[in-house]
Amino acid sequence: MGIRVNPDMYSIILNGLQTNSQQEDQALQQISSGQKLNSLSDDPAAAASLVTLRMQSSSDTQYLQNISSLTGSLNVADSALSSVVEALTTAQTLGVEGANGTLNAQNRQALAQQVQGIQQEILGLANTSYNGQYLFSGTNTNTQPYVADATAPSGVDYNGDDKTNSVEISEGQAMPTSLPGSQLFSNAQTNVFQSLQDLYNALTTNGNISGATTEVENALNYVSTQQTFYGNSVDRLNNAQTFLTSEQTQLTESESNTLDVDMGTAVTDLTQTQTTQQALVEAGAKVSQLNLFDYLSST
Amino acid sequence: MSSLFGTMSVALQAMLAQQGALEVVANNIANSNTPGYSREVPNFEESPPILSGHTMVGTGVTMSSVESVRDNILNLRIQQETSQQSSLGSYVNSMNQVQALFNETQGTGLQTDLSNFFNSFQSLATDPTSSSLRQSVIIAGQDLAGAFSQTSDNLATIQQGLDQSVVQTVQQVNQLTAQVANLNQQIQEVSNSGDNPGSLEDQRDEALSKLSGLVDTAVIYADDGTVSVTTTNGALLVSGNQSDALTTQINTATGMNDVYAQGTDITSSIAGGQLQGLINARDDAIPSVQSSLDNLAAGLISAVNTQQKAGFDLNGAQGVNFFTPFAPSASGSNAGAAATMTVALTDPDQVAASSDGSQGDNSNATAMAGLQNQPIISGQTPGDYYSNLIDQVGNKVSNSTSEQEAVGLVLQQLTNQQGSISGVSLDEEATNLVMYQRAYEAAARVISVVDELNYETIEMFTPS
Repeated sequence: MGIRVNPDMYSIILNGLQTNSQQEDQALQQISSGQKLNSLSDDPAAAASLVTLRMQSSSDTQYLQNISSLTGSLNVADSALSSVVEALTTAQTLGVEGANGTLNAQNRQALAQQVQGIQQEILGLANTSYNGQYLFSGTNTNTQPYVADATAPSGVDYNGDDKTNSVEISEGQAMPTSLPGSQLFSNAQTNVFQSLQDLYNALTTNGNISGATTEVENALNYVSTQQTFYGNSVDRLNNAQTFLTSEQTQLTESESNTLDVDMGTAVTDLTQTQTTQQALVEAGAKVSQLNLFDYLSST
Repeated sequence: MSSLFGTMSVALQAMLAQQGALEVVANNIANSNTPGYSREVPNFEESPPILSGHTMVGTGVTMSSVESVRDNILNLRIQQETSQQSSLGSYVNSMNQVQALFNETQGTGLQTDLSNFFNSFQSLATDPTSSSLRQSVIIAGQDLAGAFSQTSDNLATIQQGLDQSVVQTVQQVNQLTAQVANLNQQIQEVSNSGDNPGSLEDQRDEALSKLSGLVDTAVIYADDGTVSVTTTNGALLVSGNQSDALTTQINTATGMNDVYAQGTDITSSIAGGQLQGLINARDDAIPSVQSSLDNLAAGLISAVNTQQKAGFDLNGAQGVNFFTPFAPSASGSNAGAAATMTVALTDPDQVAASSDGSQGDNSNATAMAGLQNQPIISGQTPGDYYSNLIDQVGNKVSNSTSEQEAVGLVLQQLTNQQGSISGVSLDEEATNLVMYQRAYEAAARVISVVDELNYETIEMFTPS
């Protein structure tokens, strides 16, 4: 006598159909969402790494925003300083011209007027602002750093502070946003405004014009040196930007690898479940079509 | 001694027996689709022979009993696996609701709010006096606090729902145990009167199978046909015709319903069935997720407030708490930190971006943003801690789902095996039908032959 099998073939087919439709459901969900991760339990470790990836990617986006706002202000500051250097060069030329003994008082007065104009120009440049913030007032970005003051020896008062703010441009890498005017335009030996005031005074009074010219030259060299900070900073920003952009590309790729479904695989899975379903349904239709009663009833 | 009339009575008995067997066949066919039905077979017995002259002559057949074909051991195994299957099933269903709260796969979970909060400080660092950037910091803080309290509230709601389900499941358990006790009594009565209690046993098997889906059961078959049912840890559910109802009682410490059997708290010793799944999710999984969420919230509140107080606001005043400080109900416990998280600052000027009191300084804003990379939550950065929480939540569901699938396969196999023993096969019934029909026809034929013989005999003496 043979082994008795479960006569309820339907339940076996039903189980198969249920398992199969679960797989079909999953494949469909993946295709419709474009994601292989549709709930945390699909792959908990991947979901957890997704969180870390996105935290980092979001930070990078923020760093890139910081860089873009810094780049703007640094470029404006850099070009302001270029103009200062240019103006000081003109002032130096005027000084050399003024030191020429053949000039009369009227000629010197005319030169003095030009130096005064340069003083005004540099004052304006030293008060350059970007997005409503003064660039050369240290951290006092809401305060105009330089104000003309006839009673001051240099002709101007500095109202900024000596501090610099730093902004992060990548994790743990901070970058000074600007240099304070007190550092950019003067140090213990030299002072842009003082040198111009001295040149103006020397020209008007026919004093030590060549000494004042040397002062201006020193100031010019000093500002030029300071200006390199901005050039270097812009370079650093560009490097950081390149790094962050490529890191972000990598992060996006990792995110996509973690999250996005391979459509080819998903579609194949779906087709496979559909084939299986068809086979099961056909088997179900055949299996229980006949039993012995069909043959007995005719007798 | 044998006689024609004796032969007739043997044939009559045979007809009755075959007719009884046909009834069994009919009943099997009728119940071929009834859940829990075990096929029945007739038991034929030879009638005691009598001495005819010097030979023993058989006196026919009787259908002594009808027997249900079942394997009680197999049924017990099915009940055990069912118990485990539904425990895992209800746990997975519950935790699916939980994992939906942490919707990181769609990018709409807490991570976005965490990132936005720290990024808002980075932005502020680029222009520390900007009132719109300060406002953004406050809004990002409110969004973050809102996300924490919302998630925490939703967890609590799910937990409450599970608690309700525990109470309802206990009621269902009690209905089923009462039903089993009742069937025990009927089975005993039927058995005592010598009848087949098969259909009652089928009903009881069905009830036991449902019961094992709700709670872990240990079933012992007694000689008198009754079963006694306990939980696998020995809490009595059914004994003879008596059932012991489980009760629920609110635990004042947790606010959740504990399950009692005869005055003993058995909540944590329930080892299977829907009840176990619900209790595991309610008392173990959800509190652990809630606790991680609370730790994260408490760590953030404390670190942000400390940093804020180390700095100065736009007006040069020492910083004050950014978030409402969390007051633990018990020392060392962060319970409730996420649910009660709110931003304390109302004035954007109060955001302490400066670390030296000067308006334009941004160092404290940068330091605030830098908390993102500091080990401020149990030695981990907020992102890493949260990432672990996500892993934890996902694993609770995925591990149980795999286990559920494995148990499902075992159960499928056992059920199949049960079907091969107890299931009604129409081919088999058709064969039996023909067999009994033919036997009946043959017996009828014997009667007709004996009748003819009798007629002949009587005719012999009739005067012509």
